[in-house]
Amino acid sequence: MVRSVFKSFLYLPKTITNISILTHPISIPSTYPTPRIYRPVVKKIQQIGSLFSVPVGELGSLFSAKYSINASSNGNGSVDTGLGGRDYLLMSDEELMRQCEMSTFKASGPGGQHRNKRESAVRLKHNPTGIVAQAVEDRSQHMNRASALSRLRVLLALKVRNNIDLDTYTPPQELLQILPAKSTIRVSKCGPQIGPNNPKFALGMQALLDLLFAVEGSVSDAAKKLGLSTGALSRLLLSDDNLRMAVNEFRKSKGIKPLK
Amino acid sequence: MKVDICECVEEMRLSFIRPISCCAVSSPATSLKPQTPLFLRPPTFKTTISDLKKWHLWAKSLASSVGSTFLELDNGPDSDLLLRELNWLVEDAVETPKLFLQQPHKDYHDNSSVSIRASLEDLYMLWKQRVEERRPFQYVVGCEHWRDLVLSVQEGVLIPRPETELIVDLVDDAIKENEELREGLWADLGTGSGALAIGIARILGTSGRVVATDLSPVATAVASYNVQRYDLEEKVYVKQGSWFEPLRDDEGEFVGLVSNPPYIPSKDIDGLQAEVGRHEPRLALDGGASGVNDLIHLCDGAVSLLKPGGFFAFETNGDEQSKSLVHYIETKKQGSFSKVKMVPDFAGIQRFITGFRGR
Ligand SMILES: C[S@@+](CC[C@H](N)C(=O)[O-])C[C@H]1O[C@@H](n2cnc3c(N)ncnc32)[C@H](O)[C@@H]1O
Repeated sequence: MVRSVFKSFLYLPKTITNISILTHPISIPSTYPTPRIYRPVVKKIQQIGSLFSVPVGELGSLFSAKYSINASSNGNGSVDTGLGGRDYLLMSDEELMRQCEMSTFKASGPGGQHRNKRESAVRLKHNPTGIVAQAVEDRSQHMNRASALSRLRVLLALKVRNNIDLDTYTPPQELLQILPAKSTIRVSKCGPQIGPNNPKFALGMQALLDLLFAVEGSVSDAAKKLGLSTGALSRLLLSDDNLRMAVNEFRKSKGIKPLK
Repeated sequence: MKVDICECVEEMRLSFIRPISCCAVSSPATSLKPQTPLFLRPPTFKTTISDLKKWHLWAKSLASSVGSTFLELDNGPDSDLLLRELNWLVEDAVETPKLFLQQPHKDYHDNSSVSIRASLEDLYMLWKQRVEERRPFQYVVGCEHWRDLVLSVQEGVLIPRPETELIVDLVDDAIKENEELREGLWADLGTGSGALAIGIARILGTSGRVVATDLSPVATAVASYNVQRYDLEEKVYVKQGSWFEPLRDDEGEFVGLVSNPPYIPSKDIDGLQAEVGRHEPRLALDGGASGVNDLIHLCDGAVSLLKPGGFFAFETNGDEQSKSLVHYIETKKQGSFSKVKMVPDFAGIQRFITGFRGR
C-alpha cells in the first residue's frame, strides 16, 4: 500500500555517475538584471536554432520544458561528428554522461545549509556535438539530470545524422519497431508498435530521419522504402511534435511545403 | 508501525496545519508522531473548479506581489520561484492537477467538482504562511524531492539540500571500486530526514546495513517514517543519541561513514535567508564559532569507528572549511587516513572531504 502511492515517475532505472564537474561557478551573462538567480538561457543559433519543447514523462507536458540547442552546424542543418548519431544513442546513460559537462544554474553564494531554494536546474552539454539539454521543472536535481539526459537523447536523434546508402538500404530493426503494423516490410517479430513515450522511440526516430534526409525530404520515396502508403507515413511523422518539426524544418530548407 | 493512511487522517490534518503565529521561531513539535506529507493524504475534500481557480489566482497574485523583495532582503525566493512552487503545491494538493492546470478542458467545467487533499481554507492558509511568514515550501507540503526519493519533512528537521545528493554518488563510486564496501556496515551521523541513510541503503548489497543517528527526537521520528516508506526497516537502523555515542558497541566494524553535520559559523546564523534562519532547527545548522566543531569531532571519531580501508565523506561549508579539515587530518591524524581529498559541488565550491581509513 505504501508503495502504491509513490509517484511512478520518481523511480529511475539507474544511478548516473561519473559526471564531469565544472570546477568554477557558472557565469551568467551580465545582461540579466539579477545575475544571482537562474533564468533559462535560450539561444538561437543559425539554421538549427529553434526551440523545441519535448514532452518528457508526465511533468514535461505539465510544466513547459525548455531547452536550447547550440551546435556547430554543417550546411543542411545537422551536426557533423566522427561518430554516427546511432552510436551515441546506443550508449548507456553512464557512457553518455561521461561525454557531457554538467552544470547547474545555482548562484555562487555559500549554498549548502545556508540556502533554501529549489533551484535544481541542470544543464548538460554533450561535448562531441555541442548539443545542450537542460531541465528545470523537476523538483530534485537528480530528476532534472535524468530529464536532461533523456532530452539529450531526443536531441541527438533529431540533430545527428547517419549516412545511409539508398541502393542497399534495409530499414534497421529499431525503425521497423516504430512503424504501424500495416507496413508490408514489418515482420511479426518486431512486436507491437513503439510510441514516443517508449525510450526506444528515439533510436527509431533517428533512423527514420536518416532515411528522410537521404531521400531529400520526400515522404513518398521514404514510404516506398518502408512498405507504407504516403498517407500512413505522414500520419506517423505528424504523430510526434519533435519529429514533425524536424521533418518540416528540413523540408523547408529544401523548398518543399511542410506536412500538415 | 506500518503507515496506514486512512486511520489517522483527522489527527494528521490537525497537526499539519500550523496556525499563523506572530512569533517567527518555529516551535519544536510536541508530538513525535510524524506528519504525513500532503501528497500522501487521501483526497477527501471537495471543491469546485471555479473556487479552486479563485484560490489559484489569489495565490499567483500574492506570489507576484513579492517581486524581488525577498531576493534583495536576504537572497530569498523571487516571484518566479514562488510561482514554480505554487505549481508544485497544486501538484501535491489536487487529485487531478494536470486537468486543473490545463484548463480549459472539455469535460471540466467551472462548476465540476474537484477532489483535494486539504480543505480549500487550509490551502489559503498554507500559501499565506509560505509567502507572508516565509515558511519553507517543503514544510508547507511536508516533503522534499531529493534524488529519486520523496522524503517527508516537517518543522524540527532539516530539509535535505541538493548539494547533499552528491554524497550518495561519492559513496557509489567508492563501492564500485571496492565491492567489500557494498556488503558492510555504514553510518550516517546526524541523519535528519534520513536522506543519506536511505539513499545509501538503496545502493548497498543484500547484507549491507546503515545505522543512522541523530540527537533530535523529531529527526529520528521522521527518519524512521521515511525508512518505512521505502521499506528499508531491515537495512536502516535509526538510533537517537549524540554522534558516535549510539554506535559504541560496534566500533571498528564500519566500512563507511557519512555525515552532513551542522557547519554554519554561529555568527552567520542571524543573517540567513528567512526560510532557513527562522524556520529550520538551529541544532541542524549551528556549527559553533568557526563552524567546524562537529566536523572536527567526526574526523576524530572516524579513526576508531572505521575498519581499515573504510570510506568517509563529510559535507562542509565550502572551500575554507574543507581546506582546514584536510590540513587537520594531515597534521593531527597523520597516518590514520589515506587518499584524503576535497570534492567540489556542482557550483564549483569545495563542498566535501572524502578519504579512507589507512590499512
Ligand atoms: C545539517 S543537518 C543534516 C541532516 C541530514 N543528514 C541531511 O543531510 O539532510 C545536521 C543534523 O545533525 C543533527 N545533530 C546536531 N547535533 C548532533 C549531535 N550532537 N549528535 C547527533 N546529531 C546531531 C541535527 O539534528 C541535524 O539533523
